[in-house]
Amino acid sequence: MAKSLHVISIYILSHLGLIFFLYPGNILASTSQGHWAPILLGVTLHFIFILIYLKGLSFFPNKDIISIYSGIGKIPTFLFLIPVLIYFIMVIIITVRAYAEIINIVFLTHTPIWAIMILLLSMITYLAAKGIEVIFRTGLILAFIFLPIILFIMILSFENADWRYAIPIDTDFRFLTKPDFFESFFAFAGGFLFLGFVQPYFSYGKKGVVVAALILIPFFIFSVYIPVLTFGPHTASTLFMPFVVVLDSLSINWLMFERVTMFFLISLICFVTIYTSMTTWKAIRIINHYIPSIKPIFLLLSLSVLVFFTCLLVAPTWEDVNKLFRWNAFFRFYSIISIPLSLCFLGLRLKRKGKNETI
Amino acid sequence: MDYLVQQIKTVLGKNDDLFLQRDYIANTPVVLLGFTTLVDLNKTRDFLHHYAKSAFSEDKLIDEFWSMLGKEEEADTKKAISSIYEGKLIITFENTNRYITVEPVTKTLDRSIDVPSNENVMQGPLVSFTENIETNIGIVRKQFPSSNLSVTSFLTGPNKTKKVSLLFMDGRADKELVEIIQNKIEEKIEMDISHIQSLTKMMGFSSWETVPKFHTTDLPFQVVQCLKKGRVILFVDDIPLALCLPILLEDMFIDENDRNFPLFLMIAIRTLRVLGILVTLIFPGLYVALVSVNPEVLQIDLALTVAHSREGVPYPALVEIILMLVILELILEATIRLPKSVGPTITMVGGIILGQAVVEAKLVSNLLIIVLAATTIANSTIIGFQQAVSIRLYKYILVVLAAAFGLIGLATGLVFTIAYLASVNTFGRPYIYVNLQRNEKQ
Repeated sequence: MAKSLHVISIYILSHLGLIFFLYPGNILASTSQGHWAPILLGVTLHFIFILIYLKGLSFFPNKDIISIYSGIGKIPTFLFLIPVLIYFIMVIIITVRAYAEIINIVFLTHTPIWAIMILLLSMITYLAAKGIEVIFRTGLILAFIFLPIILFIMILSFENADWRYAIPIDTDFRFLTKPDFFESFFAFAGGFLFLGFVQPYFSYGKKGVVVAALILIPFFIFSVYIPVLTFGPHTASTLFMPFVVVLDSLSINWLMFERVTMFFLISLICFVTIYTSMTTWKAIRIINHYIPSIKPIFLLLSLSVLVFFTCLLVAPTWEDVNKLFRWNAFFRFYSIISIPLSLCFLGLRLKRKGKNETI
Repeated sequence: MDYLVQQIKTVLGKNDDLFLQRDYIANTPVVLLGFTTLVDLNKTRDFLHHYAKSAFSEDKLIDEFWSMLGKEEEADTKKAISSIYEGKLIITFENTNRYITVEPVTKTLDRSIDVPSNENVMQGPLVSFTENIETNIGIVRKQFPSSNLSVTSFLTGPNKTKKVSLLFMDGRADKELVEIIQNKIEEKIEMDISHIQSLTKMMGFSSWETVPKFHTTDLPFQVVQCLKKGRVILFVDDIPLALCLPILLEDMFIDENDRNFPLFLMIAIRTLRVLGILVTLIFPGLYVALVSVNPEVLQIDLALTVAHSREGVPYPALVEIILMLVILELILEATIRLPKSVGPTITMVGGIILGQAVVEAKLVSNLLIIVLAATTIANSTIIGFQQAVSIRLYKYILVVLAAAFGLIGLATGLVFTIAYLASVNTFGRPYIYVNLQRNEKQ
């Protein structure tokens, strides 16, 4: 059954959840003027990779990437899937830890961080246990409820914008030497890999994914430019999560709420939950491929416990989270580059073989 | 007396309403057997005599006459007795062991077709289903005279007396679903079906799901629309409801009768109902979160007003709201339980408690009463009583989570609820089913 709508909404949700927190800070740290260049470069790369990925997947209709790789032998499967698995687990750890921190700062200053992590992890585990179809349906309903709020607040956030801050627009390519620029790919990566996992459960049109990616472009741009336009590039770059600070600075008299940030963040956290539970589900799929004897539910529970204790013991402070973030860079790039390229390569080879055989 | 009559009498003799009436029909000595409570004896006899007279005036043979009345059986006492239980009339021939089972003039034991009592209809057809399964199917057939309508009936129960009928539209309905349901019924055909729970068991659904498995309605119009959408309808004898499978989330806010309104109004009304669902779920939790965990979200004057209204209330917001919610649920339950003549008393007493006394006694805050009223009103906008009850249940989860984690707990609770609803399915057909192409296909 074609479920393009589900795929589009999940695609948008999972990216939105990632964009507004760390991405603006990373971009602002990578260059002091002409922020459009790193954004555009990132978006272009993002597009190139999804197109390659979709092309590669289109050679294998109704197959997920686990079965594609396992079709060509053990070593390549190991070579491609294990780094992806490590990347996924790191992503789960980082998101749970980072978002627990954000919740702790913004909402629940007195609540211990482990309690928040338990809340997040239980939600993620529950969703992951229910499987990808439930995650998709939940995502769709959440999109109906929360996307209007996000759009509304996005529009409101232009309140204090001063368009003169957008200039100077010229830029150089020094941002390419900054690690922050490469960290910004956290917002792009991982989000699209799910397309390769859902194939037997959901089929989707290629067009839908491209549309979703196009819809996301303004969000990438505004998440960086709204803080810049509000505070100026130099002030903005000193802030921790600039977009959140912009939202906190809004004061709208006719709204009965003092802090619209809350609603924005709540929506995003719900989206991130969807994203993380999807990642967890993917990780479990890969683990289950290697350890088929244990029931997935037990694997899932042990993974959640592992993530919980890692968050608690390995990354007790924000600096540690940042360190994890940096360490993960290798796996991140490995996943987003090697998977689409290898799939495309395999697909082309398969096609050539098929042609040769028919001749 | 004949052996057969003797036999029947020994088995059924304890029943005072059994009649054994000797009579001459077409100059043949016969004994009529049946229950006076089920069979209108006088009218039936009149009918038989009249029928015999007209048959002979047409020069029919006597055997032909009997065979026109019903099939002749020989000495099968068990079958005769079960026919009597079903309300049939048995005509036995004297000095033989042969008998005929005749469809008599029955006593009217069914309610006539009435206006719906479980649902209200605004500007739409007012017919509703009754306890008689034949009447119900008849109403559907009348409203939907199509050659594609298939009706399959099963006799269930240990005595095979309870009729269960399956209605679907050929070509539209999901063939696989129809097949699964038929197999499930045939597998457990011996089961006693007297309520929806037993039917749930028959279908093999988990008993522990909080979402009802059947969309129940007593409006034929609704059923016809369901059939046209390719859904399957189950009727059970003595249950004055149509059970629609598979159940969908949209049943909570999409009433087919809305289509009697202009399109724009229809959309507005449905949006209102969706809002009703959200308000029911979120409002109590939001109150708790804003009052006890995250008051800083509100603008300062508003926060102060809220705090002021809670001045002197001796317990935390969680206890306060759970207390009042439970009282509210009790009132709702009481109004269903009580006869119509006493019902208003409960409304009045409840109104006094919830309206003024509790607030004046400083037991709960003013604001809470408003929240409660809004929740209850919003809950009543949901279509289908069963679904409304299930939504009523989830708000407690949200309240508890909101008390622990504030707004974020509320959101988590919402995600949990949605995830749970998303995981519900009927034979693999998801409860949350969004397919925008559906309307184009029709």
